[in-house]
Order: sequence, then structure tokens, then C-alpha cells
Amino acid sequence: MFDLDRIISLLRQGRHIAEETVYTLCLLSQELLMNESNVTHVNTPVTICGDIHGQLHDLLTLFEKSGGIEKSRYIFLGDFVDRGFYSLESFLLLLCYKLRYPDRITLIRGNHETRQITKVYGFYDEIMRKYGNSNVWRYCCEVFDYLSLGAIVNQSVFCVHGGLSPDVMTIDEIRSVDRKQEVPHEGAMCDLLWSDPDDVDTWSLSPRGAGFLFGGQQVQEFLSRNGVDLIARAHQLVMEGYKEMFDNGLVTVWSAPNYCYRCGNVAAVLRIDDDLSRSYTIFEAVQPQNDVGNTILPTRKPQMDYFL
Amino acid sequence: MSGKRYHTKGINVIEVNSARDAHARTVHARLPVNQQPQQQQQDFTREQLPIPSRSVYPRPSATTPRHICNNPNNPPCARCGTTIIPSPRATLPLEDCPSVTIDNWTISTRKRPILNSQEFENWESNKLKGLTLPEMIFGNNYVRVENTRDNWTLEFNALDALKHVKLEDSGIRVAYSQKWIDSKQEKHRKNLPEGASFDIEESSLKIAHHYDWTYTTKYKGTESGTSRLQRDDEAKLPIDKLSRPDNILFYDDMILFEDELADNGISMLNVKIRVMDERLLILSRFFLRVDDVLIRVIDTRVCIEFQENKVLREFKEHEGAYKDIILRHRSSHSHDPKAALRDSNWVVQNTPLVSRQCESLAF
Repeated sequence: MFDLDRIISLLRQGRHIAEETVYTLCLLSQELLMNESNVTHVNTPVTICGDIHGQLHDLLTLFEKSGGIEKSRYIFLGDFVDRGFYSLESFLLLLCYKLRYPDRITLIRGNHETRQITKVYGFYDEIMRKYGNSNVWRYCCEVFDYLSLGAIVNQSVFCVHGGLSPDVMTIDEIRSVDRKQEVPHEGAMCDLLWSDPDDVDTWSLSPRGAGFLFGGQQVQEFLSRNGVDLIARAHQLVMEGYKEMFDNGLVTVWSAPNYCYRCGNVAAVLRIDDDLSRSYTIFEAVQPQNDVGNTILPTRKPQMDYFL
Repeated sequence: MSGKRYHTKGINVIEVNSARDAHARTVHARLPVNQQPQQQQQDFTREQLPIPSRSVYPRPSATTPRHICNNPNNPPCARCGTTIIPSPRATLPLEDCPSVTIDNWTISTRKRPILNSQEFENWESNKLKGLTLPEMIFGNNYVRVENTRDNWTLEFNALDALKHVKLEDSGIRVAYSQKWIDSKQEKHRKNLPEGASFDIEESSLKIAHHYDWTYTTKYKGTESGTSRLQRDDEAKLPIDKLSRPDNILFYDDMILFEDELADNGISMLNVKIRVMDERLLILSRFFLRVDDVLIRVIDTRVCIEFQENKVLREFKEHEGAYKDIILRHRSSHSHDPKAALRDSNWVVQNTPLVSRQCESLAF
């Protein structure tokens, strides 16, 4: 029998989930996500969370420090998988919460929720290691294609993973994008997941040769054109967990503490209250060992070798 | 986590005991030798444990260690029977500065978290003006070797490494760059007749600010004062001696900076050091992979012979096209070619050598 609460409990312990269970979970999630629009409306109070990157134990801390799914509403800005050791468990836990409490959690797609990126940055490898085949990875990728591209909180906070796009002047224009596909290498959908704010006067090309950079003026124009106060995005590591820019018109929220188990950064979530006030909750990474000395995370102790 | 283990009482007890022993051993070993509790010797007489007390007391002069362990917070050093590996606490951030002295050579390292926003902004607007900095900068880390008699220092740190990154267009573009730009221009042309609000100005397809986004650095370490290392391309690293499994007295491995290139590959500068009784070896490796485009490895190796007071620095650049290198994986990493490209040792063996330089210095 399909017992959601039991699966949640297993996931929270980082335990193995059978392939058929993952299949069912993914199928149910797709049905649910299919009916959501590209930009979901969310009411206050709500907690906005940035990148997770497979750091399951830190995700549990996040819920613990911010009220918990039983009591609070959440928006996740994407990048649930890759880099960390528990991408699958982190993503499935969020899906389970979505199935269990559909109106309390909104999942936005990040640039890592794609087939191409997960093949290179860890999620695919993790699945091969845990299951010996790629089926589970394929089921999850199917779900990625249905994730929302953005959210809007009380008509005043626009949430997106990466940033703005010159092809998207109004939030309404995002609604016409066909999102149910692998993230393309160009176009509005790509920009929303990939672009970065920077100290530039106008839309500019990243020196890498793809991807846009946008500046304070683009942000102010977007805010006033759409009648919103804030753009909340993730996508970039911030040592202090969050960083406000452009007269507080844009904030980067980062929710993976001690990123990649070696950066030593703290993480943050942003709570928007009914009066639209912002408050940040900062939290640190879990210790690599629990209080009785059992290892819960592999430590990055230098492995001595006779390198040449 | 295996459930079985925790239901078996006997094993559990042994595990707890050995965990306690290990903990006590670590704590005691951090104390200077003369402060170590006497009873420790009784605590650790069990056979399976390495017994520090044996090596603490005078040994035949031929094997008496020449080195001095400089930081009492260090984990056990060779004097106490084990190697210095600077991960003294299980918690992060790691904040120890282990150091060891052999004859007139002092070796020290430091590991700290990435720069905070204040430090980061200071670097961006002052110290490295004009460079958009890599995402992760371990700017307070270093590996330092000092000759205390002749007052000469060689250090590896992120700031000096990033000063070597060029503030001009590298010419390198991500694999899908042309496709991306073409599609934008196509859209632009279509929109022109109506002069619609979607219009992308041509300027938006220009790069506003040029710098080498791959962070390629030919950094060979920072010499104190005037450069004293002399070009000596004939010189060769003593590979035979370095291949010997001599006891390692001090070991560290750290990242100086890293950037994920917006998920188009990786750019990373890493420094490793191992110190043996007679010599040390440092390997500073810059590793760049631009997915589907190119691979670049720039290695600086420093070997110091303590007795002879000789320094040798070798600098090698490797570079090759991504597609050529991935073709070579077949025999070694059969199922996952991408895994081969994450293994810098495999990559360096399969990437053509572009240049080599050597320098030496004798005191």
C-alpha cells in the first residue's frame, strides 16, 4: 500500500526507497504539478527558500527552524538536486510534502532540474550508485518538466530561480511559455533559470558567451511595470545566506549551508508576513556526526596520498 | 545506516569503547608531549591501538625525528607516532594553522571558510578591481614554506593566484554560445517591424565587461621579496626519491578558489603538500574543464631538499580539446566517461603537454 507518511518518515532518515515507490510518487506528483500554472499565486505568510543541492540534513534543519510544513507555507526556488550526497531524498521529500500538503508548498524549477545538468553534476551518479540503473533518474526528470517557472506572493513578491529575461517584460508573458519540456538553451524559460544580476547598465551578454546579466535599472523597470516590490531569486552562493541588491528590489536567498560540505557559509530563508515585511532566518550546517558520534555525513578529511 | 548493528549489544559496547579511546587519543595527542597525562600510557596498551608512548621516549639517535611540531593544537605528529593531518576538529569551519619545522625550514598551512561578503566586496572593488570573482574563494587559506636562516618564503594563496587572471577576453565561449546568440538575433529581426516592446537592443548581445571567465592562472606561488629562483630547464624533479614511500610527517590538501562556470564545467585551483623527513613536495594544480569545449591543467610542483637547502620548481601546462580527451577514456572508465573528466590525475595523463619550465635555487 502507498503510505505517504511512512515514506516521509523513511526519507527523513535518509533510508532507501523502492524503485516502484519512487515511480508512483513521481507519477502522482506529475498529475498534481500539471494543473499548476507557470507562475503560481501564493498567499502570505510564506517562507521562501533558495538552493538545497541534495543536502537533506540541512533541509530538515530548514524546516525545523522555520516552523515546519505542518504550520507554515513554503516556496522553494529550485536546485533541489546535484552536488550534495542526498539529492534523491531531498527532492522526494519535497514531492511527498507537496502531495501531502498541496497548498503549503510551491516548487519552482531551477537550472539543475534538467537531464543535461544532472548527468554532469551528481544526481545521475547518485541514482546509479543507489539503484544500479537510471530508472529513478528518468522518473525524476519527468517531474522536473512539470515544475513551475515562478511564483508571485500577494501580488508583490516575484519568485524565480535565476532572474529576469529581456523576453519577459510582464509576469503575464511567462504564462504563455510552454514549460513542459527540457529547459532549452535559449529563450525566456532559459533566462529565467539562468540569468544573474550584476553591476551593469543594460542587458548584457555574459562573458561566457551565453546567458544574460541584468542591472539595477532592469530590476526597477520590471518592478514598476508589474507593480511588485521585490524579486526573490536564488542560484548564486552567498556566504551570509542572503543578499539584497538594487535598493532592496532584489534578493538572493541561499539555503545550502556549508555548500558542498566545504564552503563554511551559513544559509537563510526569507519569510514574507501578511504586512509584507521581510524577515530572514539564518541557519548553519548540521555537524558531520550526531551527538552519539555516529557519522551522518562523509567528512572531507584530507586523504593522505603519495601524490607526485 | 545499518539497523542490524544497533540491535547487537556486544558489538555496540565495543564500538562505544573504541570511539571513546579514539576520542581520548585525539584529545591527548593535541597536548604537547610533556603535558600528556601519565595514565594515558595505561589507557592505550591495547594491541590494536598505535601506542604513542613508545615513540615519545628517546630512540636511537639515527631515528630521532629532526622536526619540531609548532602548533600544540595539531593532531599527533611523528614525534607522537602519527602524521599531522590538519583536521583537528570534526566541526566546521576548520580553523587551525598547523605547522612543522625541519632544520631551518618551517612549513605551515591554514584553512578557513570562503570569503564573507565584506571581504569579497573588498577584493572585488579594491584588491582585484575589474575581475568578476569566482564563486568560492578560500581567500584566507595558504600553504607556506619558509627558510628561516636565509629569510626566503614561498607561499600559495588565492589573492596572488587571481592577480594572474587576465582582464581581457579569453576568446573561449561555452559550447552552445553561437546557437544562443543566433536565436536571440533571429528573435530580434522578427520583432523589428513592429518595434515591439520585446525588442532586444543590439548592445545586449555585447559583453559589457571583459575578463577571463575561466580564471586561468599561471600562478607559481609567491616568493617573498625579490625573486631568487633561477630558470633552469635542465633540472628535473627527483621522481625516484619522491616515489619512495617515506613516512609522511605533514600533509595538507586545500582549495584556493573554485568556480562552477555557471554549470558549464569547473575551474579550480588546488594545493597539496606532503612533508617527509628529507624533502617536501607541493603540487599546485589549476584545473579547467569547459564542457564540450576544452580542458586545461596547469601544474606547479615545488620540491625542497632540506639537507641540501635546494629548491626546485617545475611548471607544466597541459591543454587539449574536450572531444579528443573524452575519446581516450574508453579503456579506463568504461561506463561513465564524464567520471574520467572529473579525475584530474587521469585528465593530466591524457592531455597534451604544451609547455614546461623549471627553476632552481640553492642556499
